[in-house]
Amino acid sequence: MAQTRREFIKKAAALSAASYAGLDLSIDRGSVANANENISWHRGSCRLCGVGCRVELGVKNGNPVGLRGVPEARTNFGYLCMKGMHFWKCMGHPDRLVKPLYRKKKTDTFKEISWDEALNIAADEFAKAHKEGGGEAVAYYGSGQALTEETYFFQKIMRGGLQSNNVEGNPRLCMASAVGGYLTSFGADEPIGGYSDIEKAHCFFIIGSNTAEAHPVLFRRIMRRKLDNPDTVKVINVDPRLSQTSRIADKHLQFKPGTDLALLNAMANVIIEEKLYDEDFLNKYTTFKSGKETVDFEAYKAQVAEYTPEKVVTICGNSFSADDVRETARWFANSKGTVSLWTMGLNQRKQGVWANNLVHNLHILTGQLLKDGADSLSLTGQPNACGGVREGGGLCHILPGHRPVANEKMRTQVEKAWGVPQGRIPPKPGLHTMAMFSAINDARIKAIWINCTSPVQSLPNCNLYNKGMAREDVFIITTDIFHTLTTQTANLVLPTCFHFEKTGVYGCTERRSQLTKKAIEPPGDAKPEVWIIREWARKLSEKLNDPVIAQCIKPFEGLEEGYELPKAIWNEYSQKLTAHRDNDLRGATYEVLEQMKDGVQWPAPTEEYALTGGTVKKFVKGRDPMADTESKDDLPYQFYGPAHPDRKLWIWLRDQADPEEIPDSEYPFYLSTGRIIDHWHTMSMTGRVPELLRANPYAHVEINPKDAQKLGIKPGDMVELTSRRGVNIMPAKVYEGPVEGMVFAYWHDQHKDRMINKVTKDAIDPGSKEPEFKICAVRVKRVSGPQPLKPYLVG
Amino acid sequence: MTGLSPHQAGARFLESPVTKNRLRPPGAVPEEIFPAKCIRCGRCVEVCPYRSIIMLDIRAGIHAGTPLVQVENIPCYLCMKCVDVCPTGSLLRVSQESTRMGLAIIDQFSCAAWQNTALCRTCYDKCPFPEKAIRLDQLKPVILPDHCTGCGLCTNACPVTLANGNKAINIEPLYARDKVTV
Repeated sequence: MAQTRREFIKKAAALSAASYAGLDLSIDRGSVANANENISWHRGSCRLCGVGCRVELGVKNGNPVGLRGVPEARTNFGYLCMKGMHFWKCMGHPDRLVKPLYRKKKTDTFKEISWDEALNIAADEFAKAHKEGGGEAVAYYGSGQALTEETYFFQKIMRGGLQSNNVEGNPRLCMASAVGGYLTSFGADEPIGGYSDIEKAHCFFIIGSNTAEAHPVLFRRIMRRKLDNPDTVKVINVDPRLSQTSRIADKHLQFKPGTDLALLNAMANVIIEEKLYDEDFLNKYTTFKSGKETVDFEAYKAQVAEYTPEKVVTICGNSFSADDVRETARWFANSKGTVSLWTMGLNQRKQGVWANNLVHNLHILTGQLLKDGADSLSLTGQPNACGGVREGGGLCHILPGHRPVANEKMRTQVEKAWGVPQGRIPPKPGLHTMAMFSAINDARIKAIWINCTSPVQSLPNCNLYNKGMAREDVFIITTDIFHTLTTQTANLVLPTCFHFEKTGVYGCTERRSQLTKKAIEPPGDAKPEVWIIREWARKLSEKLNDPVIAQCIKPFEGLEEGYELPKAIWNEYSQKLTAHRDNDLRGATYEVLEQMKDGVQWPAPTEEYALTGGTVKKFVKGRDPMADTESKDDLPYQFYGPAHPDRKLWIWLRDQADPEEIPDSEYPFYLSTGRIIDHWHTMSMTGRVPELLRANPYAHVEINPKDAQKLGIKPGDMVELTSRRGVNIMPAKVYEGPVEGMVFAYWHDQHKDRMINKVTKDAIDPGSKEPEFKICAVRVKRVSGPQPLKPYLVG
Repeated sequence: MTGLSPHQAGARFLESPVTKNRLRPPGAVPEEIFPAKCIRCGRCVEVCPYRSIIMLDIRAGIHAGTPLVQVENIPCYLCMKCVDVCPTGSLLRVSQESTRMGLAIIDQFSCAAWQNTALCRTCYDKCPFPEKAIRLDQLKPVILPDHCTGCGLCTNACPVTLANGNKAINIEPLYARDKVTV
């Protein structure tokens, strides 16, 4: 006991005395905005999830005072979630980084230095690493939360300047499998439709997504649609965990983790057997693929015929019946419009691309595509994973404008646009995220720039990779607004501007680009990333004596960093690099984006067209200008995507394949992880908003009541989760959420005992290289009764 | 603390400190007999690992020395340690589920979800008995009185604080007002 009885009585007496002396504990009312006078409202998009809610920041005397939704925006119609309403409190937060910090050794304490010194050090270290090992010894690891201008500019310097394809970003951890799925099934990345399909859909197929928690504003639209039409709209939720999303579902199929591929094949089987497919659509627009071979409908039919509903129910763990599978398939195929929604449940898997393909298969098979109210819609986790990283060239194998690095013609186009010598961009793709951090473990990468993300916490099996990041012979630069666990492994920490303190574009789930303009001044010496990159690149050019690096920043010299500089970068990217690509953004200039209440959906080749809001449905003649210009025949749908030379949709023959790690007698439980509504990723922002922190001060693990009873675990008990890789101790929530035999933990907590990525597995999808965060095997043990815990934030 | 400032203490000499969000620990007998039954030993205060239970001082008149949980400061986590150590039966040995410290009441005029200002369901997420004691009806929280323990986790977490210090969800000590004597 922390306090003896004697001390306790003394304290009680002291408190009485204090009260007579007139001390009073007042409630902090500083955060309550009540006066509405003199507030100017500045439009932008939300800093947090991938929905892309349009918000307005209220500014009074140069200080932020609140956020509100924009009712006219076609993403959120004015609604916000608690995170979205409160993130402005990060802006003036006392924990903000305001000076560049440096330390020679990672065991030293940080010292404040000037920007000039900081940029010299950054350039010296990158130059040194580059001289030693060339482009392969340097790396950039970015984020789906960086602005498009930032991602684009960073990769330009890395590829054009330093001749390195080691350009990666955290979307590799969340969206890579969706990219792989779209490219292999539809021939072009990103969804065909968008959110507007929700209000026209008659069936929702939600698989591997807790939309209610992770995309709450979008969930509201789905819920509204269902509640307004309770009899004609069906909601199907397919998830091993009963979540908030399941609560509006007509049918919830709770399968054993990792068996969903079999379930999706069984649905295809029912659709074919009961002749619910769209034969005309299949004849006109579909190719069947098995590995590298082209096969036919009969081969596909034979492949899925093995997945009879009866057999699959057994594979999935017998928690639903074969008739449930049949009915689900019928609802899916027969509805007037079916929208599928998924996120990490399918993507963060060793078979992530395959799982994506199998969902697309169902849509192609039934023709539930390209019409209003039907789409195969992958929800993005981060606000700019689509816009910045997938479109802007932020992954090791792609150049801006959805161009594969390995393709010489594509490289030449980019080199020409940048005015750098031909052959400057190396032809070999760089290291993908997990390979990049493995290379850091072996010190093959000598200098890495980590921008706006915290891999120390967010990589799976992070204990392993954190050893590399702690190495003294790997120089780490981080750019961030707060200290994170990653800044604790850095040598140089550069303070950057937060959202609304700089200008730039975010591109959300539905191909929509939205501009956020600078509305307030950044604190201290914080600078926008685009300025940091430009200044750093200039020094780099001098130190390496390489005029090509200077050429990369030449169009941007002398521009003011708050608005003119990002605008010039956006212009170069959108006009030169997206022209005639499938993400044609030439019409979405800053002038147009500033006028729009909610942004522009690409393709938008002209300003005039962009002002209408852009393309709601890709590939449809009359609705997508590129379907008309790229038209090769008189069919209404034109699949002009870059990856399918036959201009068809591809149905893939994909078999059930197990996850990397399956529970056994030693590690008998499945572990899955996820996000909670109040917190954003590693909590460095939301943890600093008192309202949000108080709601969820620390992570907990959800355990099925039946399992809890077997293990003797009561609500609030401290539970140890052990995998082959690491251990966590966190409080238990006994809850009919996860299916029996599975536990579910939240991953936002920064405390070393509750950082669940120490436990998760780093197996990767062979195609997309995305790790299997969602499934691993653990042992669960009660260690004690409830313990008082304190929230933990580094810095 | 505001309700207990020194100049008011005299007038409130006999008045129970149990009001909105000011609750007795789990298993407490009704207020009518609590002050007579509790011997002010402070064991419940001492055993509470979360420091949820405080001991009232002399400003609380005849209630000085009795335990109180101020849920908007630190709620009760229902660890049930206090009921085990009470030597007098002022705190009866109840289970987690049968604890009735009070009942959560949602102020629909200030709740962000009910007012449609933001999609908030913090109270639902914090409840130790979700779907039993609280559920969501079209994303708006609704309390189910049969299972609400009055632990105050929801009140504590509620992001809305009103000018008078109340939250958008508050615990009313309904059961403390039960009559037991004739």
